[in-house]
Amino acid sequence: MIDSTEMVKKVFTQKSGRVDTNRGDEYYNSLFENAKNRLSTLREQEPLKDIDMMDVIESEGVNRRDFMKWVSATTATLMLPPMFAPLVAEATELMNRVPVIWLELQDCAGNTEALLRSSAPTVDDLLFDVLSLEFHHALMAGAGHDAEHQLDEAMEHFKDNYLLFVEGSIPMGMNGNYGTIGPSGETFHDHLQRISKHAAAVVAVGTCATFGGVPAASPNPTGAVGVMDIVKGKPIINIPACPANPANMVGVVLHYILTGQVPELDSLLRPKFAFGYRIHDNCERRAHFDAGEFVEEWGDVGAQNNWCLYKVGCKGPMTFNNCSIIRYNEGTNWPIGAGHGCIGCSEPDFWDKYAYQRPMASANIKAPTGGVEKTVDEFGLGLLTATTVGIGVHAVASAVAGKKSGEEGEDK
Amino acid sequence: MKTVDIVERIEGEARLNCTWENGFVKDTQIDFLNFRGFEYILEGKPALDALVYTPRICGICGQAHLKATVEALENIYKSLNEELVITNKAKILREIGLNIEIIDSHIKWFYMFILPDVIKLKENDLKEYSPLKGKRWLEACKTASETIKALAIIGGQWPHTSYMIPGGVVSDPTLLDLTSMMNYLDLAINFFEDSIAGVSFDKYLSFNSVDDLNILNEDLKYFTNLSFEYSLQKYGTSYDRHLALSDSSISKRGKIRQRLTDKLDLNKIKENCDRTFKVEEDSKNKEKHTWSKAVTYNSMFYETGPFSRAMVSHREFIYELHKSYKDSVFTRVMARVDEIAHLLHSTKELIKQVDISEESYIKPKISLKDIPKANAKSVVEACRGSLYHNVSIEKGIITKYDVITPTVWNLGPAIKDEKGVAQKAIIGSPSLDIAKIVLRSFDVCSVCTTH
Repeated sequence: MIDSTEMVKKVFTQKSGRVDTNRGDEYYNSLFENAKNRLSTLREQEPLKDIDMMDVIESEGVNRRDFMKWVSATTATLMLPPMFAPLVAEATELMNRVPVIWLELQDCAGNTEALLRSSAPTVDDLLFDVLSLEFHHALMAGAGHDAEHQLDEAMEHFKDNYLLFVEGSIPMGMNGNYGTIGPSGETFHDHLQRISKHAAAVVAVGTCATFGGVPAASPNPTGAVGVMDIVKGKPIINIPACPANPANMVGVVLHYILTGQVPELDSLLRPKFAFGYRIHDNCERRAHFDAGEFVEEWGDVGAQNNWCLYKVGCKGPMTFNNCSIIRYNEGTNWPIGAGHGCIGCSEPDFWDKYAYQRPMASANIKAPTGGVEKTVDEFGLGLLTATTVGIGVHAVASAVAGKKSGEEGEDK
Repeated sequence: MKTVDIVERIEGEARLNCTWENGFVKDTQIDFLNFRGFEYILEGKPALDALVYTPRICGICGQAHLKATVEALENIYKSLNEELVITNKAKILREIGLNIEIIDSHIKWFYMFILPDVIKLKENDLKEYSPLKGKRWLEACKTASETIKALAIIGGQWPHTSYMIPGGVVSDPTLLDLTSMMNYLDLAINFFEDSIAGVSFDKYLSFNSVDDLNILNEDLKYFTNLSFEYSLQKYGTSYDRHLALSDSSISKRGKIRQRLTDKLDLNKIKENCDRTFKVEEDSKNKEKHTWSKAVTYNSMFYETGPFSRAMVSHREFIYELHKSYKDSVFTRVMARVDEIAHLLHSTKELIKQVDISEESYIKPKISLKDIPKANAKSVVEACRGSLYHNVSIEKGIITKYDVITPTVWNLGPAIKDEKGVAQKAIIGSPSLDIAKIVLRSFDVCSVCTTH
């Protein structure tokens, strides 16, 4: 008993599993000055599109207060202190200074679909009117040879300045012939190499582009890999999840505008502002986990009362992502809100490891929970053993953590 | 003369090869050059895993795949005479989810995919229909996004939703949820009235003759005028054979060859790989030019999709348009847009029927793992037409998973000398622009076609 509670305490309280959100006044003051300078330089640049963000917002009937509400939420999402809010607002207005090229490779267009639904004061205007999307296969007007020219022109004109968004994995098998593009039949591999060469940074969007995704699931018939396996010598930002949350795409662009840099990344190149904590840390059902109230099977009394989905296979405790806060479809809902466990879609190889209804105990999963070198089946079993005695194991862990060591004997 | 062109603004891309004679397309070939290998990936996986894999075949029709997978797994129980009890509530919630996905897809298809190409026949400047900035384009995008929220409420998110499982659904909407869903659908109805059809919803639903085209306003009127100006009511005809593999809330199952019949035998569905590349074979075989397979019913090509559904179900307005304009681009596009109205109507009716006191899920008595060996099929009417899944399992592990998407029916290659449905429709086009519009009229999805 004490072992499992100690383990749980470690898992959920140790520092390495969290993002240190406060980096000290000195850091923020200097970042603030840099961002201010950066924004004033950007402001002097010719806009790529002659559109004023505030005009757009006012013409769409969104008032200044709603816009500022969105700005402060976004500032928090980027893990910046409130003093940055005016700069974030300014960066939003300067989105038309940064050109974006969007490629679709071995994909299902799910991230494009998600992008069309990103959350903002007036979403479409913010993204489409102001963000200078110079090239996007599915969304632009041109097609065929016109589109090819458009891409070449955008690359030439914005050489070394454009952000390259990539959706979909890259098939390496059969000399790349599982995926070709354009009239010349260029392989996805060559296409990506050519277009990333003069990008300022490459943003891999969705789990296919980041970690190979579904196509790379065993036996990986096409030899699919992610962008970071191919593109070298460039800043790469991974925004995994299936689909990636559009709020994080906007976040990366805003951060880039604000600082001219990629945001702070974890070892998997994911921005910490979005992937620095677990789904579980901010889950709306967390209180039920702490209270030991679990859905035992779909449709039971627990399911009807929105209890914790851990026992029916939720991967929230092992999955780093901010969807428990941001949600999807402009905050309408998210899988756990609809009664379905997290499937861990922002983790590498989740297809082969995390498939959602496989009982945890029989899945040989290593939990990326920050240094706890136990497989998840042990981890899960430990938890379940604890809960069978009718105690919220996490509550016990918290209680134990708060007591002096001499009192641990009470915990029987 | 030969030309090769690329068709984009679809999901993925397609290569259109045309041979020309006297200014008309004499022969054509459609290449899909992007492959992921879902059927290989599914093999050897636990059966329930398919519920998270197959929706990822497509970012637009994931609901349809989810429903096909869950029903294929439920049909496994049925094949063993252990039929699962699925409550009415669960059935309705699944149908609602599917319908909303189709509504979303049709709205986007009309405004983002086909209308810009049709307008470009006449105007260089798309004005309010311009992608990413035109007022109407943005309104359509917003309407689709708002509509899909109705699905997110019960499905958790969209795209890539997972809420259906063998035995029912995991979600348990409250009355407030259902009301919110109604509100989102009302937004779409307003958009249909104000911008798409320009007539009241009830009036539109009562349309039953070609003359009703004269009552249309707004974008459907604009589209109709352009169609007649550029003869889109004459181009794009194919076999005029129609297939709907499944019943849905707005259509019946059946097929039309010479006449209509509702007798279907899924065993008559056959895939053909004569023109299809093989995995791990970097061959130079000239016959093989695409990753798409071809599929026939009883050795014949059939069209599938909203138009075929309208024909099989004898939906009055489209049925009458067909009498005058056959299976042309014009009728095909009208059928897809027409389906938006009928789906909105029937989905609202379905939401009214949800009894929240019913159970969402009833646990299967036996686990798939305890079934030594079984096979089952399922069929679903998806955005682009009939979707077919065929799964074999052994002790809960998938031994074979075959998916035939609607786009394989419509866009697959020829078999011997017989042209595929879209291929046949493109032949006779007077220009590349028209040829591309004909291809697009089938709602091309490269990623579905090759999966």
